Amino acid sequence: MRSIGKTHKSIRGFLWILPSFLGVVVFYLLPYADVVRRSFLGAVDNRFVGLENYKTVIGNTAFLLAVKNTLLFTLICIPVLILLALLCAVVLYKSKYGGIIKSAFLMPMALPAVSVALVWRVLFHSQGLLNHWLLGIGIAGSDWMNTKNAFWILLVSYIWKNLGYDIVLWMAGLAGISTNIYEAARVDGAGERQCFFYITLPNLKSSFFTITVLSFLNSFKVFREAYLVAGDYPHESIYMMQHLFNNWFRAFSFDKMAAAAVMESGVLLVLILLLQKAWDSKEE
Amino acid sequence: MKCKRLKWMMVLLLAVLVLGAISGCSGQSKNQTGNGGQDGSVQDSGEQAKGRFLEDEVDTGVAFDNILDIKKLEDGTIRIVGHAGNFGVWDSKDQGGTWEKAYDLPAEVQDQGNTYLAQAAISGEGQTVCVVKEITDDSPDSALYLVNKDGRADRIPFELPNDSDVQSEDGSLYGMSNGISDVQFPNKDQIVLQDDAGLVYQVGVADGDVKHTYDFTAITNDCRVFAVGNTLVVQNFSNVLLYDMETGEQKSSEEALDKSGAENRFFSAVDTLDAGESIYCLSSGGLYHYKFGGSVMEQLIDGNMNSLGMPSCYPLALVMIDEQNLLVVSNDPESKSIAATEVWKYTYSADASARPDKELKVYSLYENQEIRQFIGHFQKEHADVYVNYQMALSDDNAITVSDALKTLTTEIMAGNGPDVLLLDYMPVETYIEKGVLKDLSPLLKESGGTYFEHIINAYQDDQGQICAAPARFLIPLIYADSSDYTPGDDFNAFTERKSTMVHMLPWNVVEKFWYTCGAAWQKEDGTLDEAKITEFLSRLNSAYGEYDKSLGDKNNEYYMERTTHLLDQSSMDAREYDFAYGRVNTNFGLCRRMDYDMQQVLEQKFEDGKRGLMPGQADHVFVPAMVLGISSKSSQAEAAEEFVKSLFSQGAQEVSNAGGLPVDGFPVEKNAFHSFIDGHEYNEIAGSTTTVGDFVVMLGPTPKEAIAEMTELAESLTTPALTDGVIMDVVVEQGEKVLKGELSPEEGTAAIMQKVNIYLAE
Repeated sequence: MRSIGKTHKSIRGFLWILPSFLGVVVFYLLPYADVVRRSFLGAVDNRFVGLENYKTVIGNTAFLLAVKNTLLFTLICIPVLILLALLCAVVLYKSKYGGIIKSAFLMPMALPAVSVALVWRVLFHSQGLLNHWLLGIGIAGSDWMNTKNAFWILLVSYIWKNLGYDIVLWMAGLAGISTNIYEAARVDGAGERQCFFYITLPNLKSSFFTITVLSFLNSFKVFREAYLVAGDYPHESIYMMQHLFNNWFRAFSFDKMAAAAVMESGVLLVLILLLQKAWDSKEE
Repeated sequence: MKCKRLKWMMVLLLAVLVLGAISGCSGQSKNQTGNGGQDGSVQDSGEQAKGRFLEDEVDTGVAFDNILDIKKLEDGTIRIVGHAGNFGVWDSKDQGGTWEKAYDLPAEVQDQGNTYLAQAAISGEGQTVCVVKEITDDSPDSALYLVNKDGRADRIPFELPNDSDVQSEDGSLYGMSNGISDVQFPNKDQIVLQDDAGLVYQVGVADGDVKHTYDFTAITNDCRVFAVGNTLVVQNFSNVLLYDMETGEQKSSEEALDKSGAENRFFSAVDTLDAGESIYCLSSGGLYHYKFGGSVMEQLIDGNMNSLGMPSCYPLALVMIDEQNLLVVSNDPESKSIAATEVWKYTYSADASARPDKELKVYSLYENQEIRQFIGHFQKEHADVYVNYQMALSDDNAITVSDALKTLTTEIMAGNGPDVLLLDYMPVETYIEKGVLKDLSPLLKESGGTYFEHIINAYQDDQGQICAAPARFLIPLIYADSSDYTPGDDFNAFTERKSTMVHMLPWNVVEKFWYTCGAAWQKEDGTLDEAKITEFLSRLNSAYGEYDKSLGDKNNEYYMERTTHLLDQSSMDAREYDFAYGRVNTNFGLCRRMDYDMQQVLEQKFEDGKRGLMPGQADHVFVPAMVLGISSKSSQAEAAEEFVKSLFSQGAQEVSNAGGLPVDGFPVEKNAFHSFIDGHEYNEIAGSTTTVGDFVVMLGPTPKEAIAEMTELAESLTTPALTDGVIMDVVVEQGEKVLKGELSPEEGTAAIMQKVNIYLAE
């Protein structure tokens, strides 16, 4: 009787998640399966080409450049963003004006990407404001978005725009740490530094995983600003994976696009699983 | 138990919501088909919507070279006042089938000496009002005559006020001349006159008294005025104003009329069947009907399916015979004669399908007048096909070329894409490589034309397939004195000379030379030759000299903003007058038509003027234009093939828009090319002259030597210019910086290579 009840319970559970699961299947899993299928077919004629598309993509210099730039951006941007956000969160958490300042940090997130892109254009154009100001103090300007500086401009802008979001996530994690632990530590003579390294950081481990994954996935959205500022073909230092996909789509290169998408999703999945495993093993 | 039931209800509710959402999505697509059905495609029920106006050309039996007005009289007679030898009045008692001359207009209103009949309008009772203009030393004076039913003319005592009072330099006031620009005869007692200043007068025909005056001076160039019954309809760009002609007061505006007026551009003619309770309006979109006080403007005739939508057709007058029959008088500059007037009859057929089953989608990035003109011809010969011409970019939307191409990709892959593609400014080579386009070579063989071989084969691949073919082409030419250019000059020799690019904008110079040089840059592996790009920029920079910053000032007479209509701005036409007036030393660029005027200017301007192919790093370059392809995923492959085949036939290639509409270039078919450049349309005015700048040039057919020379030039063209928009934009952008001195040629080349390499690597 008990096993029948359990079965009924699990069926009911499945029925509850069924609508959402159907959505995932229809809008994500089935299209993804089609992408995998297309990665073995020709672009328009749909003839079977085996692994040809994968070989083409791996040997494609535009793809390699985009992968390099995307990885470089992620590797520099994510650690800087996470650490900076943590630092700000800890300071703000202790400040009595933390709530107001936190809102100020969130403001950039509320700005539409188009507005941000327009400000960029005005600022960093070869005839733009920045060069005008620099000229005023006797420094020669530059065509910022058409030099390697474009990468650093993109990086700083991304951090500026997303810092608030990570601060909020860190502050949520900080709020979950009981004040009793800090009080007990202080009674035992622990200073601010010891409290941070021995209480705050260990208790933020679970938040760290979430924030890292979210920041990692969010970093792909930087394409919007880069595209709006510099179009389909920006300076090579800010030519990202999404530029390539965007241009491939326009040129009917569905074969290459599908193969690259399958490879990218595979790499992402492996990275996330490794990250999760590392965290799980630490928590154990 | 109650809780369990509630849970099941929730589950069911969610399931219903999910199913509802899914069926809602599919329902939407059905609705879309249904909407199409209203315009004449297949209805949801599967039945074909019936009923359409069919077009017929009316053979009046009279060689009209001008028709001033056409009207249905109270007794049902259709009356024309026009010119065929002299001005007269013709009647038809059988709805336009046959025409007989009623009488000649009296001598007072005939052209004689320095007077000419400029406008005329007919009333419902058969009277005619004529505007006779007398050419005086200062300007034309207008006189009004009323011609009665028996053909007798009486002067209407009306004096047109002067345009405005303008203060002269010595402080005195003098009147500017004024003239009547339009006349209408809405009822037997009154006429409506519009003057050059924008004032509209409601004048009594008996005494010439002005009953009401309406002031449209603020919108004089942008408005059309129609008197219908007792209502004055005034259309401008944004709205339609209505006036009560009894009181002269403005009526409240009508939203549907405003909206339709804005959407369908200017009405060219208006008529009524119910004394002004409702109006029939003619525009390039077709015929529309609107009942005053109503909420919708109904489209009765779709202009895309007949002559009304053809750019060369300009309707002059409309007469509604009844609800199912109408006549339209239009100007047809495409006719072999310069001033030909056509009469079209439209008859409602209840049996004809509202819109043919087959819909052929023709797509281009930008509006193309020539393809629209050809569609008009094709529709007349293929009544079973509805040609839906779609253009992605217009002044009304802010879509970029890249966005438009992505949308096109989506539509083609979803199976809803266009059947025929006009590939100008599109990545033609990429589309061919990806198999997006069908092979056209069998069609070109069947079309029976004799083509310039190198030009028609511009996109031929290694297997001999021609998946895209230019219907037109442009020739990069140069007009200059022998000190600036010698035929046969190569790029190095030409750029050695220093005064050839005076007053030219850097981007314009780079763009023009891109066509004659870019073709030499592509290496066998598809990449670009860096050394040649450096040479290109260095030599151009050296020949251009120091950049004059005042050229970048928007108020400078040479200033020109670069737009995406690239071929227009690289055309020789853009600098034609600057060359004639001596403001530029040379005129070079893309030649799209036989410009014998300019050749005469060249001969008069210089003792030893030279004309020849524009120098460049590549030799014998031509620019493919109006490049056509058929989508390999076309759902109307047969109709698409017929369309393209027809377009390459000699007859279609001769569609040259002689009425002054823009042409895309020379026809690729040899016989049509000859007809295009021989100037036959000037036969009737051979020997007359006109002025270009300070030069007097003869009008008339092109001399045989000039035809032979141009044909020889066309025959010599072997190299298609690189027309890839992405590479061109980068080259022009960086090249402009080099010529302005912002970058060195080497830096410019590096910037070009960096961006183009990514593009080519993709």
